[in-house]
Amino acid sequence: MQLDLSVLAPHAGFLWRGAILTAEVCGLAILGSVVLGALVAIARTASSRWLRGLAAVYVDLFRNVPFLVQLFFFYYGLPELGIYIDAFTTGVLALSIAGGAYASDAIRSGILAIDPGIIEAAEVSGLSRRVIFTRIVLPIALRTSIRPLGSVLINMILTSSILSAITLNELTGSGRIVASDTFRPFEVYAVLLVAYAALTWTVSLAVNLLHRRMNRGITQAVA
Amino acid sequence: MRYTEFTPYDIVLLAQGLGVSLALFLATSAIGLVLGTLWAVTRFYRVPVLSQALAFLAELLKNSPVLVQLFLVFFGFPAFFRVNVTPVEAALITLSANTAAFVYVIAVSGIESVGRDQIEAARVFGLTRWQVLRRVIAPQAAAFATGPLVALLVNQLQVTSLISVIGVADLTKIGNILNLRTLKPFVVWTVVGLLYYLAAKLVALIGARIETRLRAHSAWRGL
Repeated sequence: MQLDLSVLAPHAGFLWRGAILTAEVCGLAILGSVVLGALVAIARTASSRWLRGLAAVYVDLFRNVPFLVQLFFFYYGLPELGIYIDAFTTGVLALSIAGGAYASDAIRSGILAIDPGIIEAAEVSGLSRRVIFTRIVLPIALRTSIRPLGSVLINMILTSSILSAITLNELTGSGRIVASDTFRPFEVYAVLLVAYAALTWTVSLAVNLLHRRMNRGITQAVA
Repeated sequence: MRYTEFTPYDIVLLAQGLGVSLALFLATSAIGLVLGTLWAVTRFYRVPVLSQALAFLAELLKNSPVLVQLFLVFFGFPAFFRVNVTPVEAALITLSANTAAFVYVIAVSGIESVGRDQIEAARVFGLTRWQVLRRVIAPQAAAFATGPLVALLVNQLQVTSLISVIGVADLTKIGNILNLRTLKPFVVWTVVGLLYYLAAKLVALIGARIETRLRAHSAWRGL
C-alpha cells in the first residue's frame, strides 16, 4: 500500500496520446454541437409552432436519455442501416448530437436576451430575415452565451470518457489499458482523476478569459 | 440453440434492470443528499481544516468523469487498500460521493441565498447557531435549492447507466445483453431509452410537486 507513480513513467507517452485523442474528439464535437445548437436554437425561437415543437422534442429527448444508451444506439444501430463508420466518428457524432441539445439551450437564452429593439431596428432598416439572423442575432447571442457554452464543453470533456465503452482509446480508454498492463489501477485512475480535473479547470479559466474579452464593451449590460 | 427472437421473459429482464437502476438511484440520491448537506453545514459552522478539505474534494469530484471515479473505486481500491469491492458497492460509493459533491454546491448557494440581516436578527433574538440553521435558514434554503436539486437528480439518474460498465445488471446492462442476443439494436435501445426517459420525467414531475409545496408560503394567492 504505497503510492508509487514512477511505474507510470514508461506509459506517459501512451497516456499523452490518449489525452490528445480526447482533445481531438472534444474539439470536433464542440464545433459540431455549437453549429447544431445554433440551428436548433433558431428553430426553438422561430415563429412556426411546428418547428418550435420539433426542436423542443429533440432537446427533451437527448437530455433525458443517458449518453451511454444514445452511444450504443448509434454504435450498434448505424451499421444496421448500412452506415459503417469507426468508433471515432461515431463518438464525435454522438457527442455532437447530445451536446447540441445542451448548446441549443445556451444559445436560445442568448437569443431571448437580445433587446427586441435591436431586431426591430434591423427590420425597419429593411434587412432580410436571413441577414438579421446571421449578422445581428447570432453574433450577439453567441457572444453572450460563451460562458454557458463553456460549461457545455467542460461537460463534454467529462462525458467523452464514456467513449471508452465503444473501444475508443481516448484518455480513459488508454488508462484502462495501462492499468491492466501495470496492475496498478489505483495509481492510474488517481492520475487520470487529477488530469481531468486540471484539464477542465484550465478550460473554465480560458472560457472566462474569452468571455471577458468578447464582451469588453457590454460586460455591464449582459454579465 | 440460439434465441434470436424476443421472448415474453425479456420484459421481466427489462423490469429487473429498471428496478436495479431505480433502487441504486434512490439509495445514492438519499445518501448523497444527506452527505452533501452535512458538508455544507460544516462550511456554515466554519470548521477549520475540514471545510476546506471538503470543498477541495467536492471540486475534484465535480470536475472529473464519473467513469474514472468508478474505475478508481472498483479496480483501484481492491488493489491499493487490499479490500473487496463488489460492483454494487463500488456503484454505491461512487454515485453517492458524486451526488454529494453537487448537492454540496447547491446547498452552499442555498444557505448563502438567505440574507445576512435575517441571520443577524435571529442571533440578536438569542437563537443559537443551530436554531438559526434549523428554523431560519433551512426552510428558505430548501425552497431555493429544490429546482437545481431536481435538475441534478434527473442528471444523476442518467449517470447510473455508467455502472453497467463495471458489471452491475442495471437497465443499460440488460439492454446490452438483449442487444447481443437478438441483434436488433434499434428496438432494444429505443425501449431502454424510452424507459430512462419516462423515469426521468417521473423524477422531474415529483420534483415540481415538491417545489410547489415548499414555495407555497411565498406563492401569489390573489387578493
